[in-house]
Amino acid sequence: MKLPFLESDLYYNFKRTPVAVLSFFVFLIIVIMAIFADIIAPHTPFEPLTLNLLNGFTPPMQANEFTGTIFLMGTDDQGRDLFSTILFGLRISLFVGLMAVFLAMVIGVTLGLIAGFVGGVLDSVIMRFADIQITFPSILVAMLIYGVAKGLLPPDLRYEMSITVLIISIGLSEWVPFARTVRGSTLVEKEKEYVISARMLGLSYPQIMVRHILPNILSPVLVIATITLALAIITEATLSFLGVGVPTTKPSLGTLIRIGQDFLFSGEWWILLFPALTLLLLALSINLFGDWLRDMLNPKLK
Amino acid sequence: MSFLLVNQLSRIFDLSEPWILRKIKGQQKKLLKAVDKVNFSIERGQTYALVGESGSGKSTIAMMVAGLIKPSSGFITIDGYNFFSPTIENNIKSSLRKSVQMIFQSPYASLNPRWRVGDVLKEPIKAFNLIESENGQKRRVCELLEQVGLSERDINKFPHEFSGGQRQRICIARSLASEPKLIICDEPTSALDVSVQAQVLNLLKDLQKQFSLTYLFISHDLAVVSTMANRIGVLKQGILVEEASPNKLFEKPEHDYTKMLLTAAPDIKNVSKIP
Repeated sequence: MKLPFLESDLYYNFKRTPVAVLSFFVFLIIVIMAIFADIIAPHTPFEPLTLNLLNGFTPPMQANEFTGTIFLMGTDDQGRDLFSTILFGLRISLFVGLMAVFLAMVIGVTLGLIAGFVGGVLDSVIMRFADIQITFPSILVAMLIYGVAKGLLPPDLRYEMSITVLIISIGLSEWVPFARTVRGSTLVEKEKEYVISARMLGLSYPQIMVRHILPNILSPVLVIATITLALAIITEATLSFLGVGVPTTKPSLGTLIRIGQDFLFSGEWWILLFPALTLLLLALSINLFGDWLRDMLNPKLK
Repeated sequence: MSFLLVNQLSRIFDLSEPWILRKIKGQQKKLLKAVDKVNFSIERGQTYALVGESGSGKSTIAMMVAGLIKPSSGFITIDGYNFFSPTIENNIKSSLRKSVQMIFQSPYASLNPRWRVGDVLKEPIKAFNLIESENGQKRRVCELLEQVGLSERDINKFPHEFSGGQRQRICIARSLASEPKLIICDEPTSALDVSVQAQVLNLLKDLQKQFSLTYLFISHDLAVVSTMANRIGVLKQGILVEEASPNKLFEKPEHDYTKMLLTAAPDIKNVSKIP
């Protein structure tokens, strides 16, 4: 069977760029490990019955005193297997990151399309709002939205909704780059004659925007989505590190780093190091892959 | 009454800066008269050509006739109906859109690069609800492709698989899909090779005879215009300075600007005299 993708320039170049291949496979392995955390993880870190406090602070590669299994990355103060905790933390970090990027993409692409295509006052209002938002660091915006949302929610919902709130606050803080890029591309596309010919058919604005313009502006959106994914995961980790993110019973990578930080100076270095390294590897692989994708899809750099 | 009537048509573009900047800098409004009180008319089945340099307002007139830009003053009627009349009903506006189509200059930008040829040609059929059934639509698309000299096999290809001339044929097929009465040709051949130009022009002529189409032909190429047009209007900075039949215009141009345009065009007779 012939797959058209395997014959494209993109794939040809991908095969010949070791950094792209490496970063892609590192990312793929991390994602697979997060998805199949239930199967891969030697322990279920959230099952109190399986924990034994006497296993606390076991260094990496040491055996469990009771069962003899080896703790690959050591344990934390509660005797939880760090490797398993990281796998489950990755799952939360990736989920929050992906959903936040999806939200940011939907908001940004919609507003950018409207601003670029309709123009006029609506364009000014949307883009000035984007300008104002971008003057604040996105972590600050996310914290602000997170705080407001937590305040608005009834107390009994706060706990269950915390991941949703986190996704919304990160998503709302990252939409600006999408909107700006999409607006720029829309301004170029809407002057093209195929759009004029669609207008001559009396098609409505939403029809022209979705059917004609959107498919032609997706490649920059893809690049920004990749880079924003790394940003969103780091933002989530930062928020969790500061203690405003996911609840401690569902630790993400950021939460694990925060916990590990407490033990850094008492000699238990592994509790901090392994979650931090995982985060580094994840963000780095996404960024390197995103950089390659940007260079490939940018006609000026070809 | 003429099929297309353009009466005292004007269009002014506002090029001034935003209000607040203008107040700060103390500037006046900057207005550009792109089209200035232009009158002409076309009979059914005829070709009227507008010639002039770039920036003379040819394309602005085309966009106004197509109903995409609102005239600042004056009016256009097509078959007695006016796109911008305040009392126009929606079904008349829709049938007016159906009867006016356009062919563009660049065959590269005028087809959506992500759409297959079949979908491009089906779009007007679907937009105006001309044919309901899926099979009927497909048959109509094949018929259109054959009318412009392409084949049924091209239905699933993407625009980038065609040459410039073939793409222009697809554009012509698209403009024919809604069975229009008036086709605005905005420099349809200026992006093509000379040999391909002749083929496309012949195709346009044949289709005109076959479907009794009316053409508003916009060009800066006098050689092209002379083969196509029944009447020629010369535009200079938005003003229609001269209007005549091709023979008269080429033999006895009256306005200085027309003479200048004619001397600027390469003349094949003179070229052959060079030893």
